[in-house]
Amino acid sequence: MSLFEICQWIQDSNIGTSIRESTYVFPLIEAAHVIGLAISVGTIAIVDLRLIGAAMTDEPVTDVIEQLQPLTLTGFTVMFLSGIFLFWSEAARLYPSYSYRTKFVFLFLLGINALYFHATTYKSVGKWNHDRMTPFKARMAGWIGISFWAVVIFMGRWTAYNLK
Amino acid sequence: MNLLPLFQWFDSTALSKVIRDSTYIFPVVEVFHLFGLTLLLGTVTVMSMRMLGLGMRRQSVYQVARNLMPWSFWAAVLTIVSGILLFLSEAMKCYGNAAFPWKMYFLGAGILVYLLWQRRVAHPDSKMGSGQLKVLAIVTLVLWYGVALAGRAIAFV
Repeated sequence: MSLFEICQWIQDSNIGTSIRESTYVFPLIEAAHVIGLAISVGTIAIVDLRLIGAAMTDEPVTDVIEQLQPLTLTGFTVMFLSGIFLFWSEAARLYPSYSYRTKFVFLFLLGINALYFHATTYKSVGKWNHDRMTPFKARMAGWIGISFWAVVIFMGRWTAYNLK
Repeated sequence: MNLLPLFQWFDSTALSKVIRDSTYIFPVVEVFHLFGLTLLLGTVTVMSMRMLGLGMRRQSVYQVARNLMPWSFWAAVLTIVSGILLFLSEAMKCYGNAAFPWKMYFLGAGILVYLLWQRRVAHPDSKMGSGQLKVLAIVTLVLWYGVALAGRAIAFV
């Protein structure tokens, strides 16, 4: 079974078909996807803006990161689950979309960026917690986060136009 | 009041035609609309959570508002300016749309609440009690999420 056939099978499943053909479920899931995006990426953007020295610069970096984490995770969960259901309902249509594939490449890179930052640069946060100007690697993590999330949003919206 | 001629005029401006005739302008403007919405709802949510006592409690309400309110403001400017461009290109679609007026009511109320009430939170001399802050937090959450949801509904109703 090719990847495309698997996607076709997912789309043709009972759940996929019901979501696609529903009047209210698809729009509601899509609304949840946008709300989840706003909460997760909105709070991630605040953290990244702190890292690059643009927002909340009077507050310690750890205060910003630790206190926003619950909101980020909640928003991300909503976005991820609603995204799975949206994919479920049109997997075969999404499979060939280059913007959809690009979105996942950038999501993967964002994951690596976050893991690398937390595993290395963030370990020394005690030394620069109160600094407006964070170390170069922290500023890079912030810039990469903001710009790659912008690409993800762009590609996600673009996918809906390419589908037609 | 008959708003039809007004919407017809919006629909017929030179800018409306330019956006309609291009394949890429509308989606690109809509992406910027989404950037603005993300930052606006994100910052409004964080400020409201603080006012409700549910987040960022190591900082005062004033500290959170002073830091994030300017970002909310400029995100709203980006969202509204891009929204006006989107509206111009499809004003007649909006005219007959059941969700569009709701989006405008929420938006108008959100702007009024910001001008008359919400922005005072970012003022150092603000003496709002915790009860008033909680009411304000819920009002702003309802209004701005209302704008977003009614906006998304435009495409479906």
